[in-house]
Amino acid sequence: MKRTLLNFKTLTTTFLTISLITSCSSDDTGINTETETETETETGEESRWITVAATKMGDEAGDGNGGTLIYSITSDEAKDPSVSISPFENGFTAPSNRTARLQSSEDGSTIFNISYAGDTGGTYTKYIVEGGQTFTQSGTEVSIEPYVGTAPRWIKLFDGDQTGAAVYVSTENEISDNGTELDTSDDYYVRTNATISVVTLDLENSLINNFQEHSVPLSDEEEALGYYISRIDMPVLNDAGDKLYIGARLSKLDPETTETESDYEILGSKTIVLDYPSLLNPSVITSTVGHGNTNGYRSINAFLYDGSVYQANQSDPEGSYILKIDADNEYDDSYVFNLDDALGVEGAYILAWRPATNGKAVIAYRHDGSEEGVAGAQGFFALADLNAKTATKIDAIPYDADFYLFQYQGFVVDGTEIYVTEAPVGQNGNIYVIDTETGEVTKGAELINEEGSHFIGTF
Amino acid sequence: MRISIVIITYLCANFTFSQAGQLTGTVVLENNSPVIHAHIKIIETNHTAVTDFDGKFKIKNLTYGTYTLIISTVEANKKSFSTTIDKEKNTLTINLKRKTNKLNEVIINGKSKETEKETSGYSVNVIKTKEASIRNIQTNELLNTTVGVKIRQNGGLGSNVTYSLNGLSGSSIKIFIDGIPTSIYGSSFSLNSMPPSMIKNIEVYKGVVPGYLADDALGGAINIVLHKGAKNNFNASVSYGSFNTVQASVNGLHRFDNSGLTIKASLFNNYSDNNYKVSGRTVVTTGIGGVQTPITARRFNDVYRSTGGMAQIGFTKVNWADQFFIGFTASDDYKEVQHGAFMTIRPYKDRFLESDVLLTNLIYQKKDFITEGLAININGLYGKRNRVVNDTVATAYSWTGERAIDYKGDEYEYTWGSQQEGGPTLAKIKRQVASIRTGLSFTINENHKVLINHAYNGIDREDSDDLLSVLENTFIGTRDLYKNIYSLTYELTALEQKLRASIFGKYYHQKTISIDPAIAEDENGNNIVVDEIVSSNNKDEGYGFATSYSIVPNITLLASAEKAIRLPDETEVFGNDGDNVVANPTIQPEVSNNLNLGFRLGRFKFKNHQFTVSSNFFIRDITDRIGLPIENSLNIDDELIVYVNQGNAKSKGIDAQLNYNYNTNLGLNFNISHFDLTTTTDAGTEINIPNTPFFTMNGGLQYSIKNPFHKKTQLNLFYSIYFTGEFSYLNIPEGVGGADFFKVPEQISQDLGISYAFSDKKTVMSFDIKNIFDKPLYDNLRVQKPGRAFYLKLNYTINNY
Repeated sequence: MKRTLLNFKTLTTTFLTISLITSCSSDDTGINTETETETETETGEESRWITVAATKMGDEAGDGNGGTLIYSITSDEAKDPSVSISPFENGFTAPSNRTARLQSSEDGSTIFNISYAGDTGGTYTKYIVEGGQTFTQSGTEVSIEPYVGTAPRWIKLFDGDQTGAAVYVSTENEISDNGTELDTSDDYYVRTNATISVVTLDLENSLINNFQEHSVPLSDEEEALGYYISRIDMPVLNDAGDKLYIGARLSKLDPETTETESDYEILGSKTIVLDYPSLLNPSVITSTVGHGNTNGYRSINAFLYDGSVYQANQSDPEGSYILKIDADNEYDDSYVFNLDDALGVEGAYILAWRPATNGKAVIAYRHDGSEEGVAGAQGFFALADLNAKTATKIDAIPYDADFYLFQYQGFVVDGTEIYVTEAPVGQNGNIYVIDTETGEVTKGAELINEEGSHFIGTF
Repeated sequence: MRISIVIITYLCANFTFSQAGQLTGTVVLENNSPVIHAHIKIIETNHTAVTDFDGKFKIKNLTYGTYTLIISTVEANKKSFSTTIDKEKNTLTINLKRKTNKLNEVIINGKSKETEKETSGYSVNVIKTKEASIRNIQTNELLNTTVGVKIRQNGGLGSNVTYSLNGLSGSSIKIFIDGIPTSIYGSSFSLNSMPPSMIKNIEVYKGVVPGYLADDALGGAINIVLHKGAKNNFNASVSYGSFNTVQASVNGLHRFDNSGLTIKASLFNNYSDNNYKVSGRTVVTTGIGGVQTPITARRFNDVYRSTGGMAQIGFTKVNWADQFFIGFTASDDYKEVQHGAFMTIRPYKDRFLESDVLLTNLIYQKKDFITEGLAININGLYGKRNRVVNDTVATAYSWTGERAIDYKGDEYEYTWGSQQEGGPTLAKIKRQVASIRTGLSFTINENHKVLINHAYNGIDREDSDDLLSVLENTFIGTRDLYKNIYSLTYELTALEQKLRASIFGKYYHQKTISIDPAIAEDENGNNIVVDEIVSSNNKDEGYGFATSYSIVPNITLLASAEKAIRLPDETEVFGNDGDNVVANPTIQPEVSNNLNLGFRLGRFKFKNHQFTVSSNFFIRDITDRIGLPIENSLNIDDELIVYVNQGNAKSKGIDAQLNYNYNTNLGLNFNISHFDLTTTTDAGTEINIPNTPFFTMNGGLQYSIKNPFHKKTQLNLFYSIYFTGEFSYLNIPEGVGGADFFKVPEQISQDLGISYAFSDKKTVMSFDIKNIFDKPLYDNLRVQKPGRAFYLKLNYTINNY
């Protein structure tokens, strides 16, 4: 009993100390922000919120299963290496059972979240960014779970923060009884039917706009071999705003046994094209340049620039490509931008990327030469030029074997500047601001890390 | 010194010349109940004996002649009489008259069977079911109030249950029915369906499990002991209550005294609509555009029904067997599923599970088998069990129980074609099961005992899905699992019974076989289906000890420790096609070093006050935890994920309980359990494992009134309170915002009960109110449990007719 009392005491003291520190520091930030906002209005200089996202370790270093934390500072603070922030001590835990997939408004004033898994999986919430750990929920909640399940793959479309789109695919094998219903010995595999669902969400009013489902076939030859669409993600609008592109991953089964295969020929990269906003008339387009998946992972994988959509692919045997889909809604196979070639490495794999308005992009990648860190392959940042099809590793950012970008999600684009976070698993790091125009890299605010945890970007 | 003398005496005794006889007997009271620990002394010789739990005693090497016996016990009046030994085996039944004078002034140092077990050195609780069987209490509810035990249940009656002992849960905890793993029986014959009246008691071994229950129980074992008596009895009960819950059970035993032929049968039936009210952040209806309106809803797809029973025929108390039974166990159940692991805005409709089991059983028990002091105990089962998941309805329903509307206002169906994501299913698992547990114990003398135990479990598993084509079903693999566990235990009682110790070793051998049909070419180049058979052998050892020392009869210190293991299950060995997990035949078992240190004070008596206090401190230190590696860019598209031994966990904490009685009519009990469950990083930092209810308290009060209205009647009043401390689904340190979302709030529930025994001594009526203040109770991130509920139960019992 004595022990317990002591524990309570220690706890209480710790709690009080922490809350004192926290309240002090958040007050400080609050004051700073206000003064800056005021000066901003007077001088007309632009400052915006930068929300830093970090993910806490569950029980394995780098697993990111212990919750997603966010913390906001102004862009001026973000660029100031004397500022240091510590989301694991005083951030805000995004309400999601597993790693949240966050999105932010283009000006950084609002964070959009759809809870991933758990009782509220699929529930959309919106938060007004007010600095520090203060994120004030605004508007009503709405759930897309009935349409795309509790673990939705969703993305905010680039239409002025109006719309979010989430997708889901379910598959079913079609087996023919060969005309003999009773004799099952001559049954054979015909194809695997993939049914995709797409839901669009009015982010402003928390309402569901539209929902459609379609069976999306591949070519007869591909289907006969057992190929099918097994995962879809990363919807993006075309320039005209009349088509929605959805990235896809293909899998293959053995038609003889209907069991999943593991070592098979990777087909040309594919994208599903739908009419927008009706979400009707699905078709599949195939690249002859890239091979591999176009569904990304947790970070937006396809962007509109200069009238075309640029899309990264993953698991390409030749290393990741950036593919181009033109205004005619077809792959531009004359556009060849291979990251292996551009960087002079083998097995480049784009983990996340983001172009600025000038066609220059920051790419988070790993390659075959990456060191194996605590949580997987070491990651790097590169500065790429979509027009020149060139890419250079950014050497001004320090790299560590434990610097791991697989779960990386967010880049803030502020004009031609791109904000990234760099912190190896379990080590402190910094925000870096890359001037895509000049290639100049500014070391910004310090990121205080925690054992086994890492930072997953800016919003 | 003492031991050697005993051994010499023992050896001498064996060499003694014949022309001497043996006297065995049973000491009973008027009502035929055995007298435990009665002392028998033969005046003319130095022979003495003490009766065992069944009131039996034995005196050997009595030269033919007539002797005077004196029987003394605290329970009854002293008795002396003479008897003649004139043959090799002489048997007696001695009837004693119960002492009625001022019994409360006699200090009783005899121990009940429960106390005997609880002071054997193990961290064990023996839960008596007698009182619960009269009241409206489920077996699981009874377990949940036991110190150190926490039940995580996903809803109301019949819903999925996981057991946690001192912080370890899931497959770390093994549940047995008379030493047979419940995985043999399946869900239809389980703690969810078995009425307490079928059960004699429940043993909960925490951390250290004795050899006779040997299994790969990493964190402990719960053993349900069924009634073993040989006395005629009949018991029937029926209960009705809230949520249209009906529970009925009948148990009976008849023994033909002449032949020893005994017939035993038990039947049970449970039904509940489980339509209790729920509310909360996900209980909403959705309108146009998905606009949500919170409601209070009644669960509408949660019906539970289970029916089952056991029938056995055999012989009891005959010269070749104390117990011999063969019989059948059969049961089936039906459980609708209202939601998945979490309560989301999307309730399920018409998803249900069905399971059934049909087993033949065999029981053989004999003390002094072949030779004196050797006891044998065999319990075997063989049969099959089936389980079907039925989810074929795509129609969306709302929490109102009506069809849901989509964002346009139209009724709709789910894309995935079923209620649970993942598509329609009629998945069926057929299992052939066999289990046999054999125990041999040899009592060398009252100080030394050796026990050898063997347990065999075999499960042949076959999966199919009626919604899949024959082609697809053909290529679904089968998984077989065979487990042999041997244990050797040595038990010592020394220093005038002050010291009790047992040491044991366990040897585990598990064979898992995977049969995966594949295509191959025969000699003519035609494709044929062949079975790819892979098998994996896992052999391992464990060992441990349990010891207790009584400084004085009512102060006992207890210590026990075990190197426990959990063998990898078939999925961990062979993977799972659906999840792209492939085989890792070299995977190692999880290992845990378990330690218990405790004391027991009591029973103390001051005038009319009696109390017992006990406490246990425990550590469970698990290494080689089995898990899946984290997803990263190298393996995201791989089909080559394997289970690996990667993690660790540690649980340490304390259990304590207090029992207090005043006179014979007021009883109070209270227990508290608190532990820290952590995992240690490579750098040595301990991190709390979230989603763990780590702090629980339970209290109970009972008051009996004798002859309240009529003579020979009794009224019992009960009050219980249950507390579960707040816990969180994620570790969120103080100072970080957004913590409320993940919290499962503190829960306090209170129950009231009353039972009345009628003057016929056969009928008891009970009325219980559960959760009297209708407080919200949760589990698993706010899965809600029933609110206030009322139950009435009628019991009818005839004993020794």
